[in-house]
Parts: sequence; structure tokens; C-alpha cells
Amino acid sequence: MNIYSSLFYKYRKTMKALRMFFVVAGPGIIVMVADNDAGGITTYTVTGAKYGFHLLWFLILLGPVAYYVQEMTVRLGAVTKRGHAEAIFHAFGSFWGWFSLLDLILTDWLTMITEFIGMTAALSIFHIPAYMTVLFCWILMGSMIMVGRYWTWEKVALIFCIGNLIYIPCAFMVKPALHDIIFNSVIPHFPPGGFTNDLFFLLMANIGTTIAPWMIFFQQSSVVDKGLREKDIPFGKTDTVIGSFLTVIVAMFLIIVTGKLLLGVPVESAAEAARMLMPVNKYIGTIIAIGLFDAGFLGAICISLASSWAFGEVFGWAHSLNYKIREAPWFYAYYFFTLVLAGVVVLIPRAPLVLITLFVQVIATTLLPAALVFLILLLNDEKTMGKYKNSLYQNFMNIAIVIVIIVLSTLYGISTIFPNLFA
Amino acid sequence: MNIFASLYQSLTDQVKDINTRYAKPSIQMTPLVRICLLFLRFYLFLLIGLLIYKFIAVVRQ
Repeated sequence: MNIYSSLFYKYRKTMKALRMFFVVAGPGIIVMVADNDAGGITTYTVTGAKYGFHLLWFLILLGPVAYYVQEMTVRLGAVTKRGHAEAIFHAFGSFWGWFSLLDLILTDWLTMITEFIGMTAALSIFHIPAYMTVLFCWILMGSMIMVGRYWTWEKVALIFCIGNLIYIPCAFMVKPALHDIIFNSVIPHFPPGGFTNDLFFLLMANIGTTIAPWMIFFQQSSVVDKGLREKDIPFGKTDTVIGSFLTVIVAMFLIIVTGKLLLGVPVESAAEAARMLMPVNKYIGTIIAIGLFDAGFLGAICISLASSWAFGEVFGWAHSLNYKIREAPWFYAYYFFTLVLAGVVVLIPRAPLVLITLFVQVIATTLLPAALVFLILLLNDEKTMGKYKNSLYQNFMNIAIVIVIIVLSTLYGISTIFPNLFA
Repeated sequence: MNIFASLYQSLTDQVKDINTRYAKPSIQMTPLVRICLLFLRFYLFLLIGLLIYKFIAVVRQ
């Protein structure tokens, strides 16, 4: 074969691989970008305002952490063809299955509330009342799943994922000092003031917004609903890598924006930050508000779907977006039920919505080890996984993640009982 | 009331059916692993309890 034939062959092979990747890509990117949901945007806004660029290095560390966890769901879903809830019931029995489902119901409901909090807060900046935002979201989310199949839903979700990248140009607009960003991204260190309860809380919130139990259930069910097979696993992994890269990039850029413009200003939410920035730079304020709505919407459609899939798998209902409503009535009924139950909470007068948003991230972090342990055990079952079971390195990384989260959760629990310990 | 009663009955039957279907797990865990998992569960719920306590304390301030 001469050099031209060889080059042409390589070009054809690359293009074929790229086309295959674009067919398979979706679950990893969506779950990771949706991970920067309303609660996440609020957490990053507060992190930047409180600590400037000092925690950028921590965000970068969370990228690979999210990848190691989510990559396991790709293999598990593609090999077992089961969603995560069904996989737990099948492998560990109904006692542990119900426990996992209880975790999912609790964290999903709380997280859905934070999505609606974010969306209503974002649109309130443009003087749209909360009840109208909630109604509008219910109608939009309902229409999205009733029209088309999984592929349609996925393409619409990917458009919202692109919307989530709106913070990237925002960060360039504020013209941050590059050397500060590089230093704080590369050198792990505590911010001025040292290790305090507030820092602890935000570290936990940042972990909880980067890896959450719903993400494990969502990606695995999504892989199954999309029909990925074992030979698609490498593309699924690439999809997850790209997703984890995007999630860290968006988080970092948002921290850069608020770290530059609102450092030292007591900010409690992204909506509050957007309001404060409107008089300073209306474009940046508007971008933060639009980004917050986009993040909340993307999070809400993914989380409600994760719950519906999980219940459908366990109760044996038809549970796919490829079915029409009359073919899978309980699947769609549960989907709408979660939307309504979460939206209604936001309309309760004088509810401490911002506090709820941050606490939910910490609760999600605390419950994460329970989900991770089952995931690791499933991925080590050679009878089921065969050659796709976890390697020693993957086990080491994932067990280390579990241990670190348990230690951090314990320390946070201790700081709750003895508040002056880290003061 | 009859609708709710029949819905409740249907749900209970489904739960019993699920428990029967998944009565025998495919992965056999040793008693030590089961105890560790149970301990982890209740420990995490204890931490959640502390979080809820802190949330209530902050709201009351």
C-alpha cells in the first residue's frame, strides 16, 4: 500500500470512528453538563464570591473523580442491559434494592426542588412571577417527552447543554488575571482564613454538585434506553470524558466570573449575583440569569427521567421514552408527578429556598458512598461483567473516592456538633 | 375511598411481587460485608440527621 492509500485508509477509519462516536455520544455529555444544575451554579457562584480563585484546583480534581464514577455506569449498562435500580435489585436482593431506591427518591426530590428554585429565581430577575415560571416549565418539560422518542429528547437536551456553556464567554468578558488563575488551578492550598466551617460546607457542596446519586442512575438507564452495546463502551467512555471536561470548565469559568466581580461580597445565590451584576454589567448579569435557568431546566429533565426509569425498572412498567404515553402510562405519570411535587414546594411562601439549595448538595454528597459502594461491588462481579469488570487501578481510585467522601462527611458531622472545632 | 384502597392494594401486591422476584440475589455477600453495608447505611443516615439538625438551627437563627 503506498503512502496515499495508507493516508486515505486512515482518514476513512477516523471519519467512521467519529460518525460512530456522534451516534453513541449523549448520555455522558448530558449527565455531566446537567450536573452543573441550578444547585451547582449557585454553589459555584457562592464559592467564587467567597473565595475568589482559591478553589479552582479543587474543581479540577473533581473532574477525574466524576469520570471514574460515571464511566462505571457505561460499562454496567452496556453489559447488563439493566438500569442501575434493577441491577441492584437483581444483584443484591430486594432489601438493599429498596434502600437504594429510597436514597434515589429522597435526593431526586430534593434536587428537583433546587432546580425549580433556580429557574424561578432566574426568571424573577426579568419580573416573571414564580407561578408562571413553574407552569411554563411543566408545560415545556411535558411536551419534550411526549413528542418523539429517546433520540429526540437527547438532541433537545444537548441543545440545553450548549446553553450551559454560556459562562465561558462571560469569563473572558471580565478579563481576569491569567497568572492568578494558573496559580490557583495548579497549586492546592487553603484560601486565606484557613480551614473553617464555611470552607468545609462549600467543599462538600462542590463535591455533591459534581457527583450525585441521580447521575449514576441516569447515565446507566440512558445507556440502556439508547441501546448501547459492549462494543460501544469505548465511545461511551469518550463521551463521559468530554462531559467531565465540560462540567469542570463551566464550573471554573463561573467561579472566575464571580471571583473577579463579587469577591468578598456576601452572595447567597446565583440569582442574587445576577441581580447585583445587572447595574455593573447588564450583559454578564443577564448571562448568569439565563445560564441559571438553562442549568435548572436541564437538571430537572434529567433527574425526573432518572426517577421514572428507576421506578419503571423495579416495578416492571414499560419505561422508555420510545413508548407513547398509552404504552407506558405509569412511566410518564411518575415523571409528571415528580415535576409537580417539586414545583409546588417552590411556591410555598417564605420557604428558605437558598438554604435548601446548598444543603441539598451536602445531603447528596453524604448519601453518595452508599450508591458508590454498590456500583463498585457490581463492577467487580466477574460472572456478570466478564472482561469489563473493574481493574485494580479502577477499584483503587473508586474506593479512595468513597473513603474521602465518608471522611469529609464525618468531619462535617463533627463540625455540626462542635462548631468551634474548625472556627 | 375505594379507589385509594384498590390503588393501595395494587401497590402492595406489586411490592410483594418484587420482593419475591428478587428474593435470591445473584451476588452472594458474606455476613461481614452485609454487616459493613448495614453499618454504613445507618451511619450515613445519622450524618443526614445531623445535617437536618443544622438546617433547622440555621433557619431558626
